[in-house]
Amino acid sequence: MLLKTIGRRLAYSVLTVWLATLLVFVALQALPGNLAQQLLGQNATPAAVARLDASLGLDRPAWRRYLDWLGGAVHGDFGRSLVSGQPVLSEAGGYLRNTALLAGIVILAGITLSLVLGVVAGLTRDRWPDLAISGFALLGMSVPEFTVATVLVLGFAIDLQWFPAVVTAGPTASIGQLLPAVWLPAASLTVVMAAYIIRMMRTSVIDVLSAEYVTLARIRGLSSRRVLFRHALPNALLPTLNVIAVNIAWLVGGVVVVESVFNYPGIGTLMIQAVHNRDLPLLQFIAVFGAATFVVCNLLADLASVYLNPRLRTPGRAG
Amino acid sequence: MTDHQHGGTADIDNNVLMNGAADGPGRGSGLSRRTLLGAAAIAAPLGLGLAACGSASSGASAEATASTGTAAKGGSMRIARPPASSAESLDPASSLSAYEYLGALYNRLVKQAEDGSVLPDLATSWESSADSTTWTFALRKGVTFHNGKAFTSADAAYTLAHILDPKIESPQAAVLSPFLSASGISTPDAGTLVVKLSSPNAEFPSLLMNYNCYVIPDGSAKTIGSTGIGTGPFKLKSFVPAGQGTVLANKNHFGGAPILDSIVFTAIADIQARVNALLAGQVDLIAQTNIDYATSKTVTASSIATTATVKNAEWYVMPMLTKASPFTDVNVREAFKIAYQPTDLLDLALHGRGTVANNNPVPPSDANYLDYKVAPDPDKAKSLLKTAGLSATQQLYTSSYDAVLTPLALAYQSSVKNAGLNISIQTASADSYFTDVWMQKPFCVSYWYTGRPVDQLLNQIFRAGSSYNETTWSDAQFGSVLDAARKESDAAKRKQHYQDAQKILVDRSGSIVPFFADRTTGLSKKVVNYKEYGFEFDYLHIGFAA
Repeated sequence: MLLKTIGRRLAYSVLTVWLATLLVFVALQALPGNLAQQLLGQNATPAAVARLDASLGLDRPAWRRYLDWLGGAVHGDFGRSLVSGQPVLSEAGGYLRNTALLAGIVILAGITLSLVLGVVAGLTRDRWPDLAISGFALLGMSVPEFTVATVLVLGFAIDLQWFPAVVTAGPTASIGQLLPAVWLPAASLTVVMAAYIIRMMRTSVIDVLSAEYVTLARIRGLSSRRVLFRHALPNALLPTLNVIAVNIAWLVGGVVVVESVFNYPGIGTLMIQAVHNRDLPLLQFIAVFGAATFVVCNLLADLASVYLNPRLRTPGRAG
Repeated sequence: MTDHQHGGTADIDNNVLMNGAADGPGRGSGLSRRTLLGAAAIAAPLGLGLAACGSASSGASAEATASTGTAAKGGSMRIARPPASSAESLDPASSLSAYEYLGALYNRLVKQAEDGSVLPDLATSWESSADSTTWTFALRKGVTFHNGKAFTSADAAYTLAHILDPKIESPQAAVLSPFLSASGISTPDAGTLVVKLSSPNAEFPSLLMNYNCYVIPDGSAKTIGSTGIGTGPFKLKSFVPAGQGTVLANKNHFGGAPILDSIVFTAIADIQARVNALLAGQVDLIAQTNIDYATSKTVTASSIATTATVKNAEWYVMPMLTKASPFTDVNVREAFKIAYQPTDLLDLALHGRGTVANNNPVPPSDANYLDYKVAPDPDKAKSLLKTAGLSATQQLYTSSYDAVLTPLALAYQSSVKNAGLNISIQTASADSYFTDVWMQKPFCVSYWYTGRPVDQLLNQIFRAGSSYNETTWSDAQFGSVLDAARKESDAAKRKQHYQDAQKILVDRSGSIVPFFADRTTGLSKKVVNYKEYGFEFDYLHIGFAA
């Protein structure tokens, strides 16, 4: 039964990613302006446009181009960048690594911090730690990420000069060059992301603590620490997992603004370049990559909730 | 059990939905902001690529508020620049050239003085045949490329042929190819370049001031994009497209070694990020960046940075497509040109930071400038419109492509109300503005970098047949006056022709040119002798205060 659940989840995920590739392809076809015209700019004579259309394969029907692309993608070949002529994967590789570094720091530091804050807020409901944390969370939710980024730059890069304001090393930056500059973008993303997780965790902790089995556990004389860590928190984490999953996916797929403000050479910066250059194969890869990340994160959240939820974990005893 | 399982799954799905709904507005608007910011981020490099295809400035003069004085020998300057594209190259002829590197790495045959005249660079002197078709350039002796090879006429000839090569698709090829082909270039000896034109052009040397015309070594077409070997004051150490690059002082430069030891160029696409880098002390100068009025106040308030102004660096224009209704009627065009108060537009759109142009795109500082205008006259505009039977609302297209476009459109809209002219503003997407709106819609807002020599300016942007003729204006008399100028070897008479052409342009063309705009850029307070005008940048004397 459990394997069947997981299998069905996996099948849904594959289906979702496939639908995403289709949607992305259709959306890119609908972009304003002919691609060849964009590439040729003001030198776009009709003859030159036709020649370029043919050399890019744009004269073939759209469904044919989609099937060719899908066939390649299944084998890990996402085509070549129209601008550099390099395979899309090797073009995006360095940028993906940089975003992974940023995302990794945000996930490790940011999510841990948010969960802890959420629990503290839940445990101290309506007292000053809760009010302070919830206030901060509301603020983080309401302020857009580029404002947070700008405020952080003003305070910590321009006034205090503790951190660099931008990454100057460019796409070939080594991890060592990125490390001093990664903290402000990571902090901006954490502030925006933390808000959702904190609020979800807080609500969840409050719900669980008022549940009957927690009261029962207390009545049976279990220590508050044991009640909290063994019984309350695993259950409180369940609904929060999906919020975390969605936020991680958002992080990997959509850090465009924050990366742009910090000139951070990640996948968001690459996406802006790809849009600007009408580099469709590259853009298509980034969009599908974002969709796949989203699906995988949700899948992992589902599987983790199966693991954390005793009712799903032990089919024989549940009823 | 099945029920519970379903229950569990449903919970998860609900959470996703709830979360999605809670995220909805925030993330949704976040996305559109991202899109907007993205557009703003790419605007600068696009503006450079598209609007800057001209040549060096005719008369845009630097009015540097940056300090001048004694520079300390040595130092490494960090310059932030907008990348042209992730595929940018060091090939000067390419439309994707990394502009800021060019002046540091290369020299041209000729360069431009602040007053717009042609100065010697790698060519020491030049003369033409009586009919202005054969030009002979005497080349500088004892110049070596960064790789130690001597500069000769073969390199100069190769550079011209490279620009004209259709495969390179150099923007300057469209300017030169109507009267120049590779077969017309010859090298009688190592120190002489002879160029034979297929039609007379008395202004030919001025067309070689363009920044696509930097001289590269003979046979280097395939490698120049990454090696950057030139004769300039700096030689290349490293270069990453859309990334970081370093150039080192060339002690053997024929014009003397530069003050600085090195320059580190950093590509930063977002304008705000470039300004932040300056304010945080990470860079010393931001290149090719026009910072807006509010930001310039922030920069001047900073303890480490200040601003400098390049006067009349851009000119703004509202092209009326003369092949489209209602602008086929010259009276309608005149009405649109005299209906507005230029000073109102200058104040509203630029905070007064510019110069009124009176519908003439030739800058007042240019030697060929004609001081002629048709005074604003809303009443006459009203009666012209009435005669033409035009009462419908005219749509004016704009976009966020450049910060001044929309303020200009709004200022024009309010200024022409007195003439009974109704304008409705349409905002188009910034990233397809120059493909879907410009030269497609009858009436839009556009701009160019001031910098073309007068012959190139008038022939390239206003003459029938040119692909940059943004109003599709076709005027036989205008064309024949320009041809007469090119045939005229007497400078005074040539000037007269160019002035006649300006009068025709002001009277009949489809271009409303309200003003020239100053460009404000930011730099560290420690920087001295920053000097930039048009497409000339003084890399020899810039340095840090002693």
